[in-house]
Amino acid sequence: MEPSGNSRRDFLRATGGTIGMAWLAAQWPGLAAAAEHAHGAMSADTADRTKFVFLSAAQARDVDAIAAQIVPSGATPGARETGVVYFVDQVHAGVWKSQGEGFLERLKGFQGSCAKHHPGTGQFADLATGEQFAYLKHMERSPFFGEMRFLTVLGLLALPSYGGNAGKAGWNLVGFVDRHVWESPYGDYDKDYPGFAPYPGTKVRS
Amino acid sequence: MSGRVFKPTDTVDFVVVGSGAAGGVMARELSQAGFDVLVLEQGPRYTAADFRHDELDYWFNGHLSNKLDTNPQTFRKTANDVAQRVEGFPAAWYAPTVGGSSTHFTANFWRFHESDFKERSLLGEIPGTTFADWPIDYAELEPYYTKVEWEIGVSGLAGASPFDPPRSRPYPMPPLPVKSSGVLLERGARKLGLHPFPAPMAIASAPYRGRAACAHCGFCMGFGCEMQAKSSTLYNMIPEAEATGRCEIRPLSYVSRVETNAAGRATGVAYFDKDRKEHFQKARAVVLSANGAETARLLLMSANSKFPDGLANSSGMVGRNLMYNTYNEVHAVYERALNEYKSVQVTRIVHDFYEHDPKRGFYGGGGLDGRIGPLPIAWALLAPPPERSWGAEFKALLEAMPRAMIVAAHGTSLPLETNRVDLDPALKDAWGLPAMRITYKDHPDDVKFAGFLQDRGVEIMEAAGAQQVWKAPSGESTGGPHLLGTCRMGNDPKTSVVDNHHRTHDIPNLFICDGSSLVTSGRGQPTMTIQALAFRAGEHIAGFAKRGEI
Repeated sequence: MEPSGNSRRDFLRATGGTIGMAWLAAQWPGLAAAAEHAHGAMSADTADRTKFVFLSAAQARDVDAIAAQIVPSGATPGARETGVVYFVDQVHAGVWKSQGEGFLERLKGFQGSCAKHHPGTGQFADLATGEQFAYLKHMERSPFFGEMRFLTVLGLLALPSYGGNAGKAGWNLVGFVDRHVWESPYGDYDKDYPGFAPYPGTKVRS
Repeated sequence: MSGRVFKPTDTVDFVVVGSGAAGGVMARELSQAGFDVLVLEQGPRYTAADFRHDELDYWFNGHLSNKLDTNPQTFRKTANDVAQRVEGFPAAWYAPTVGGSSTHFTANFWRFHESDFKERSLLGEIPGTTFADWPIDYAELEPYYTKVEWEIGVSGLAGASPFDPPRSRPYPMPPLPVKSSGVLLERGARKLGLHPFPAPMAIASAPYRGRAACAHCGFCMGFGCEMQAKSSTLYNMIPEAEATGRCEIRPLSYVSRVETNAAGRATGVAYFDKDRKEHFQKARAVVLSANGAETARLLLMSANSKFPDGLANSSGMVGRNLMYNTYNEVHAVYERALNEYKSVQVTRIVHDFYEHDPKRGFYGGGGLDGRIGPLPIAWALLAPPPERSWGAEFKALLEAMPRAMIVAAHGTSLPLETNRVDLDPALKDAWGLPAMRITYKDHPDDVKFAGFLQDRGVEIMEAAGAQQVWKAPSGESTGGPHLLGTCRMGNDPKTSVVDNHHRTHDIPNLFICDGSSLVTSGRGQPTMTIQALAFRAGEHIAGFAKRGEI
């Protein structure tokens, strides 16, 4: 894991070698501000994950249980540990407020069908995990499941400030490091690249 | 932000509608030639400091994209279908902002080849299509391709591709550093006897003309570049136009009509300002560079008693021959880390399948590139095959993301009169103007070629030693950012909308230059050619104006 929040230093280190110092000195203030501005929004985990602002506690339990089937917990964090339920809660009170009521209707429809299939069980979240999996498998082509998959992925990987991706655990899971500046080599296959070898009959010009 | 501010009573020499890849070039060329130019841009003006690395906002909330709630679109496959309102991604996807789609583009900058301009002569008629030669050839456009590379700013390695058309100058900047996806694409392709080469990209690999070099942050496709390294017109043509003191860029100005007089000449344009108040801007000449979808819509919305089928539409070709280019993906996972989220999207490409080959049995040509394309969210949503799209296997795939790459296959679209942009008969936008309706169905050869090229991508990844390779599902095109062909160039006023200098055949002081001008689709990377056309058109239009020929 690379350190974050030090984009100014990263920027200097990464560009210092390729950009003339006079140019850098002339351009630095504006560029640094732009770069840090863009990056700063990524770095801050400002979400409050202590309460729900849109979902009821029972609704949140089911959303959390569905998300945890889509990206399960285990040796590494899953949807539950990354706070996907808080993402689903907060976007429907925030950036996707206009879609909140529709989401609730579809969630209630899901809960109603689940209750019919499993009489005597309180709600989806109360089912044994194997039963939860089987029920979702049964309805994995439904629009509501597609919507929950979409929301789970976004909750896992969108900026922490939207409510999910707690502590950037979603980004850690997929190996994404939120640094603003990178330099070559980027991966294991380009570090020993010998350079482009021209083809016979061609004349490379630079 | 600087430049001229025109008064409402001023008659400008040129009003340019749109400030994107073509409009930005037109603004600079015409103002540097000494003319007063007003550019009307429907979207806002951002600066580098406004751009964010927020995948949800830019990819799933349409931060830079056209908004379907205020600017709705409808889509149908054929004229026999009822067009349905488009949800999610627009069918005609662009960036309504100063700089236009050059602000959010990926920046692949391939020149068209010599054959692209004369394929109809080379291959003959393709029944059921409007496949045609261009009224200009590659040699005519070559100096302007060079101008794009030097004045817009393109990084690349001249002569690296054995298939490259002739060029008068090398690139002004070296190629961007190769990524692991580029190394693996090159490794696999060379093993198969193909000729991968460094991708030409409109991204500064070194400080260039007052702009910073790329910092390799990875947020190119769909994002604005806060480093100003991406060669958007926002950062080169627009400020250079304003620096002449003769050009005003007026954002949040949504043009609703081009007006004409009894003599059949354009008199100016009507537009809504940010408060939805309507204005009329008088102009001696009008240039439309609003993109291949909005330019056609605007001409059709401007119908009047003298031009009842829309302006410049005596041929009936306005809005027709829409071409999206085909796009298919191959996914591959390797043993070790690639970290494809870093740096620019593409560093190596393959042009061995660029030319049509009659042995394949169907028309088509294209190019392949190695990339991850979108960032983590889009990859997680789109890459997994259905059987691994949730549960433990999905999680395992998510954990493999650092080892994953995409091969993107970009192919031809044949021009068909039935594929078109027109006005929806019922749906209106938030200003009460007719919504855009798109009718589009791929030609069968386009689908066949796209599948052929995707299979070549699979072979390359297997040859490169991938542990897993799978094809993304390839369906028929339902939209995209390449909006081409809807006001095609041609010498014959009966079959084309603009002449070989981008003057409309019907209205002597109305010019069009953007993706709509293209006669054929090229191989999937049109912006380089759109900008070369714009430099050429700007020079000719300025010449006409100076000689009193408008």
